[in-house]
Amino acid sequence: MLSYIIKKIIAGIFVLLGVVILVFLLFQLVRFNPAYASAGEQANEQTIQNISKELGLDKSMGMQLRIYLNNISPLSIYNTTDQASSFFLDDKKYNYKKIISFSDKAFVIKAPYLGRSFQTNRSVVNLMSERIPNTLVLACTAILFATVIGIILGVIASIKPNSLTDSICTAGSVLGISLPSFFAAIVLQLIFAYMLAAITGFNLTGDLIVADEYTGENYLSIKNLILPAIALGIRPIAVITQITRSSMLDILHADFVRTAYAKGLSQRIVLFKHALRNALIPVITSVTGWFASLLAGAFFIEVVFQYNGIGLETINAIKTKDIPVAMGAMLFTAGIFVVISVLTDILYSIADPRVKVKSN
Amino acid sequence: MQKELLLDVKNLSTHFSTDGGIIKAVDNISFQIYRGETVGIVGESGSGKSVTSLSIMRLIAFPPGKIVSGELLYHNENGIVDLIKIPDSEMRRYRGNKISMIFQEPMTSLNPVFTCGNQVDEAIILHQKKTKKEAKQLTLELFKKVQLPNGERIYKAYPHELSGGQKQRVMIAMAMSCNPDILIADEPTTALDVTVQKTILELMADIKNKINSSIIFITHDLGVIAEIADRVLVMYKGKIVEQGTILEIFENPKHPYTRSLLACRPPLGKRLRKLPVTSDFMIEDADGNIIEKDVTINEIIHDVVVPASETEQRLTDLQKLEPILQIKNLKTYFPVRKSLFGKVTQYVKAVDDITLDVYPGETLGLVGESGCGKTTLGRTIIRLVEPTEGSISFMGKNILDLSVKEMKPVRKNMQIIFQDPYSSLNPRMTIGNALKEPMQVHNLYANDKERKEKVIDLLQKVNMKADFYNRYPHEFSGGQRQRICIARALALNPKFIICDESVSALDVSVQAQVLNLLIHLRKEFGFTYIFISHDLSVVKFMSDRMVVMNAGKIEEIGPADAVYNQPQKEYTRKLIDAIPSGELSDIKSRLSTA
Repeated sequence: MLSYIIKKIIAGIFVLLGVVILVFLLFQLVRFNPAYASAGEQANEQTIQNISKELGLDKSMGMQLRIYLNNISPLSIYNTTDQASSFFLDDKKYNYKKIISFSDKAFVIKAPYLGRSFQTNRSVVNLMSERIPNTLVLACTAILFATVIGIILGVIASIKPNSLTDSICTAGSVLGISLPSFFAAIVLQLIFAYMLAAITGFNLTGDLIVADEYTGENYLSIKNLILPAIALGIRPIAVITQITRSSMLDILHADFVRTAYAKGLSQRIVLFKHALRNALIPVITSVTGWFASLLAGAFFIEVVFQYNGIGLETINAIKTKDIPVAMGAMLFTAGIFVVISVLTDILYSIADPRVKVKSN
Repeated sequence: MQKELLLDVKNLSTHFSTDGGIIKAVDNISFQIYRGETVGIVGESGSGKSVTSLSIMRLIAFPPGKIVSGELLYHNENGIVDLIKIPDSEMRRYRGNKISMIFQEPMTSLNPVFTCGNQVDEAIILHQKKTKKEAKQLTLELFKKVQLPNGERIYKAYPHELSGGQKQRVMIAMAMSCNPDILIADEPTTALDVTVQKTILELMADIKNKINSSIIFITHDLGVIAEIADRVLVMYKGKIVEQGTILEIFENPKHPYTRSLLACRPPLGKRLRKLPVTSDFMIEDADGNIIEKDVTINEIIHDVVVPASETEQRLTDLQKLEPILQIKNLKTYFPVRKSLFGKVTQYVKAVDDITLDVYPGETLGLVGESGCGKTTLGRTIIRLVEPTEGSISFMGKNILDLSVKEMKPVRKNMQIIFQDPYSSLNPRMTIGNALKEPMQVHNLYANDKERKEKVIDLLQKVNMKADFYNRYPHEFSGGQRQRICIARALALNPKFIICDESVSALDVSVQAQVLNLLIHLRKEFGFTYIFISHDLSVVKFMSDRMVVMNAGKIEEIGPADAVYNQPQKEYTRKLIDAIPSGELSDIKSRLSTA
């Protein structure tokens, strides 16, 4: 089991490395000189050159990649004396701890350094870590809601295939799949936060953490979470319902379900104990896949509700050509996917004991 | 001795409604089960034997199935209940408790995500209202009763960690857990090796006597029935065509269908030119009425016995020619364990140093228990699996050196027929296209028109109609599908065909027809076969020489009759002893000792 997990983690690290390099190359392709963005429109040639130098843009592409990788890697080697070096261990940039020092070099462990925002000059890592909790709360709520409802609907639909209940569940989920999330978001906004606002008390837009208008104190506003979470959850519900249903239908024909009935078990126990756990395996894939993409930024939803998460931040960064932030967001997204897929593999082996054997 | 009636089945009918109309799967049958006896129900697939058992358990899926009439009178200490009339909640109290069931497929009949112990506990907790701890104690005792070694380990094991025989023992333990009055066993040994089958049959008989219950034993194989049953019901197309004691059925079968079932199993004692089939004993007219032919089993068998001298002559003639296939020191290993860095640290030696020659026109039988490497050997020979070491020379060419492209003309001459006719035909391809495809791949014949003619010709060769060309596989029965698979293998005019358990999934009566077809084709086209099967009687019927495999190695090789009659190795002897022979003398000795 442990070696299985280690193997998965090592594979994940390689995938991440590939993504880091790919992201770097992609932004090289954009062929946009970030020095202009950083310096503003009125900057003169000298300023641009200085900024280019500061950002390392005068170096060759290979050198830039090396600097970039060294900055991202949690374990890295830096120069401790030469301030002009691109690998100088700058206290202002890095939050590090030295492991070993040798002559003018140091081997350090540090938080990844993703540069600073061109717009606000804030560290990208700090910026991200401010936004991540918001997105995390939104994505978790949405996926929890979608998983519970989706599995229940799927099981109900599978008990009597082609019955009225089944047809309603299927029709509903087809509608859910075909409904674009931003459209659902706008409709929900219109109905619950505008027409029925007096009853529900929902806001059209709003963040999870709101500053009180009078005192200026920040407080948590759960009600601002409800509509975005539902809007975000509609498509996963539809997909999870469908997958649970078809998976349950397969399993209900399996021999061991017949064995369970032959034991004298009631339908409820057969369905929820014997069949559901087997049927969950494809559902896990779907749930974790959706969870990863929700975490990576529910772009539309965050924009529609002006919800201050990763998605909104990324959109803003792209609008203003704030390349370090956009790159950071992409890396974060990829990282989330890798972590979730490793977790998925581990979850499989818990749900289905046969997975462990196959991996050996 | 007054016999205690347990179950009185009266005029039971179970129908299935399908798009094609109503199927009378069980059609007005009546029989009784008494305490302490084992009743065998025999018949081919579709005869209604499984539906009968599921009807007794009230496990018929509705829709499409429904018990339309009849009574299932169960006599117990509280009087007589009609199992059909009681509500489902009451039925659940009997199910798994007083009437329990063992199924055919031990591989799929246990829930893969729960431990074996957990699954047996569940029935005990449900019906006997025990605590978890008490249930575990009882389960461990049951495991001891069904002779599972190391009960603690089995208790914690998941089904996939056990062998087929062990799983079936767990199933038996589960079915026995509440000391049922009636145990229904639906083909419980069909998926198992003969040696394992033997031990399971002994175990069931032993446990039945200990808890004084009765067994309804369902199978398509009269040989197995001979080993265990006291009384036999023969079912055909939803009806019971004959019932009687085991001796009556074997000594003096009245119905022609019973006679054909008795005759169509390859006999062990003699060598036959062809096997008797159902149509030798009876024919059915358009309305489904059975017209009996006036023959006895002995008359039919007498006509097709091959004298020993002829067999010997054929063997010497065959071995005069250069071998068509020469295998030297062939090894095929599969990695089972890898270190963290991908280095293989442990292998399964599926084929372990095998050397043998196959002569043109010969049929070489390959027999052994599951996991002995016979299938891997077959697949390695045609390079579906790459060997680890060794050489294979086919028609004078070392085929292991050939590239994929160079292999293509060689493949034309080597074909394989797989075990499961249900999964080895593409369900979305018409029969015609499935047969035409290999011809197209190998650019045989000038155009599609000629190919179509050839396909129709092939279909007729395997006794199928020309108008099946545009039909899809799901419209055919297992036996018909296997004939289509045979036709597909013939499409390229191969010289050499590997039959990998090609008849194992078929009923004995259908098996006889397919075996006869293979023998007939061998005569007509001069094929060389490697015939792989776990069933020694089938291998012996088919082959000139027989190879007994065990743990990847050749245990014994020689002329088929010699290997059977004078086995040199303990392993071979064990295999032969385990075959349910269905001989009258064996039945009599079993009954006298009981």
